[in-house]
Amino acid sequence: MLKIIKNEWLFLVRSRIFLGISVAFIAILLLSVFLGNYQTQKQAHTHDTAKEHVRQQWVSIDDMNAHSAAHYGTYVFKPSNLLSSLDEGVNSITGNVLKVEGHVQNEITHSEASQMQSISRFGKLKPSLLLQYIVPLLLVFLAFNSVSNEKQSGRFKLLVLQGAKPLQIILSKTVSVWLYGVLLLTFILGVYGVLTFQNLTSEILTRTLLFFVSYALYYFIISGLTVFFSARWQNATLALTAMLGIWIIWTIFLPNILMSSAEKWHPLPSRSEFQAAMKEDRAKGIDGHNPADERSEALKQKVLKEYKVDKISDLPINFSGIRLQADEEYGNSVWDKHFGSNRAILKNQKESVQLGGIINPFISLQNTSMGFMASDNLHHQEFLLQVENYRRVFIKMLNDKYTHSKRTAEHNGNADNAFFRSVPDFEYQPTTISAVFSNYVLDLSLLIFWSLLVIVLIIFGTKKIQIV
Amino acid sequence: MRSLNIFILEWKHFVRSPFKIVALLLFIIASIYGLHNGADLYKKQHSEIERINKEIETQKEETLSYYRNNQKGPENRSWIDVTTPFWAIWSTPTYHFKAASPDLVYNIGQTEQYGYYKKIGTTSSPYDPDMAKEIANPERIQSGTLDFSFVVLFLLPLLLLVLLYNIKGQEAEQGFLPLVFVQTGSKNWWIASRTAFYTLLLLLTLFGLMLYGAMLTQVFDAETAFFKIFAYITIYLLIWVFVYFLILKNGKNTVSNTLQMIGVWLLFAFIIPAAVQQWVSIEKPANLMIDYIDVKRDKTEEIYGQDSDITDAQLFSLYPTLQESVIAKDSVRINNARRRSIRAILNVEMKTATDNLEKDNQAKNELIANTFWFNPISFFQNKLNTLTKTHYNDYQNYRDEIQNLVDKRLETMVLDIWNDVKINELKFIEYTNKLSK
Repeated sequence: MLKIIKNEWLFLVRSRIFLGISVAFIAILLLSVFLGNYQTQKQAHTHDTAKEHVRQQWVSIDDMNAHSAAHYGTYVFKPSNLLSSLDEGVNSITGNVLKVEGHVQNEITHSEASQMQSISRFGKLKPSLLLQYIVPLLLVFLAFNSVSNEKQSGRFKLLVLQGAKPLQIILSKTVSVWLYGVLLLTFILGVYGVLTFQNLTSEILTRTLLFFVSYALYYFIISGLTVFFSARWQNATLALTAMLGIWIIWTIFLPNILMSSAEKWHPLPSRSEFQAAMKEDRAKGIDGHNPADERSEALKQKVLKEYKVDKISDLPINFSGIRLQADEEYGNSVWDKHFGSNRAILKNQKESVQLGGIINPFISLQNTSMGFMASDNLHHQEFLLQVENYRRVFIKMLNDKYTHSKRTAEHNGNADNAFFRSVPDFEYQPTTISAVFSNYVLDLSLLIFWSLLVIVLIIFGTKKIQIV
Repeated sequence: MRSLNIFILEWKHFVRSPFKIVALLLFIIASIYGLHNGADLYKKQHSEIERINKEIETQKEETLSYYRNNQKGPENRSWIDVTTPFWAIWSTPTYHFKAASPDLVYNIGQTEQYGYYKKIGTTSSPYDPDMAKEIANPERIQSGTLDFSFVVLFLLPLLLLVLLYNIKGQEAEQGFLPLVFVQTGSKNWWIASRTAFYTLLLLLTLFGLMLYGAMLTQVFDAETAFFKIFAYITIYLLIWVFVYFLILKNGKNTVSNTLQMIGVWLLFAFIIPAAVQQWVSIEKPANLMIDYIDVKRDKTEEIYGQDSDITDAQLFSLYPTLQESVIAKDSVRINNARRRSIRAILNVEMKTATDNLEKDNQAKNELIANTFWFNPISFFQNKLNTLTKTHYNDYQNYRDEIQNLVDKRLETMVLDIWNDVKINELKFIEYTNKLSK
């Protein structure tokens, strides 16, 4: 079998067309890695500058009412991620700027896609675009006549007469075509590794390895299926057109249709419905800015009792701060309910799409590619959750300060610069693969299932093929 | 006559090619699915707008009831007084919509990147968080919606490839190409007639599909770009026919022709647009709205903290008639009026910040437009976006309209506050009409 693979490669490297296409394609792949990496670095620089600017504004506050500071708020910018040089996933359409302030959980806005007219329907020239769409086509072109040509030239019969089993020959052809894809993949990841060598961590290596495994499995499915068709059908054109048809259905048709259908099966509320529902629930709680509110009055009585005083003015603290924090905590439960419901719907949509991998392994590949490169919706949601958790800590610090800064004859009740400096900045903790790996087990399993299915097809489907 | 014979023979060849028929059927199914996706979005947006309009009516009625019952506002919000211009305008529910065109059925374009309804207040800006796109699965938006334009721009060249790929190659492989040339007289004429057959077949199919789409959203009831859209689709198809014709004319066999055709498609559909997008992102990275944020926070603090003289000068420069107003001469009430009018000064600053942002975006758009001569798919995509009113510029116009409404609202509020206008039911109704147009 090894000998056949070696021979296949000898034939391939002797082909000028093959070498020409390979060189041109490797050049495009290299360009995509360099540009992808450069763009990520440039975006990271823009992000760091903006983050620093906003932080400087915050730590420069000299004297401000702590609750006014909660309205002044701060901004979090979605950080670019080193892995997104390989697969940008949803990053260009999810927005980049998120305001962190009191009373409200804002949504991330100002996506890159909304800042210009349309360009590419398939995203930027990242390695994932080439690895997902173009490399499989190259494999199809390499494999579609690999067996039928041998049969027509009589070489297949010769090989069988020399002792090779038809199955061995077909599997060897599959492996040799597959190896071409794997080599391209290895080359790209190698270049990526060299470019990002200084920042490589075990997390990045693990994710890249998983990325490699999912692509390698997909390439095996494509190579095996094409060789299988080539073995089954005498006519190479038929094998080519069948595989092109499968490629179109898998990569262009089904992902779109499945995504749209999943959104119909598990509909999200419209923005206006979502806001109205939150407003309604919010109105049932305490109103932090309205002392006449009934719930506010109840809270006041509770606090007065706690401090054993009769009037707010006798309290050693600022009651408004307590009311605002109570308002905030109630608001948090409302945000958790509604944003949580949206997250659950998105999760259901994702699960439905993942099941699409049963009929379309490309779906599984897309999911794992984005997922392992930390650029899918799951990682985006993790980022949003971290920002919201930060917002809660941030606002509580401000409300606590407001509570304990009672206006007196000597003190204006405002917080000073030292306090504002003590408020920590948002630091994004990248989600580790171990924490989210279980979400991709189904995708990986389906890719393995498809690979096994292709092997079974080759073993049983080519048992009775004509040798000539 | 010669062409007619070729057409008849090609028809026979076509009906005997199950692969080609299946490809055409799949294309039709995808187109119908795409048209329904467009129509669904159109209907969804319109019903949402209708729902919001009903909500507006309820809110309007609630405020009107305060005037009718001699109330100043809601009982639990004693500080609200709807007889003053400030609170009356605050209570005037105003939304601005970007109503979808019926042509959306053909092309969703950039619709899903932006919001299409916006609540207008005196502190509003076209870049507020509520201008964000509808809540949707980002992975679905990233993979794109399968709409009719997607089918036309990306699948039509593939369908054409399937229909044309074996022209000449098959005859060459079977060895009767010289015989065909002898019978038809000219190689080019024979290939051109055969490709013309499929071009006509596709044009008829596309026209039929567009008519079907027109029934889904009553395209012809409104001012429509139906024929322009069809004209652009025809030009797009003819470009691909020409490219494939050249490949077939110079090609040697079916496999090599197929590979070349798919290679050209990959280049124009994937590689070039993706490379352009990457290049634009490097040249002009995503704007993180720092200018806008600075105005929202620091400039706001600064303006609220500045001396009254400066604020007055700025307000008088914006609205010169204020100097002669009743409140301008009232040294006590002027403080409240001034404070409530500061939003107008902030609005000017906000417009300067958004101007910069829009110039930045426009520069990106120019960069993209400069690539259209070698990036035809993006050109046609944007052309269709313009015709179906789903282009970036349509949303820019929508943002400009929002800004105009904010300007008008602020001007009305400031002038009426300073002229000490008393608001009654009639004046409130006048507000609701004036501020929404």
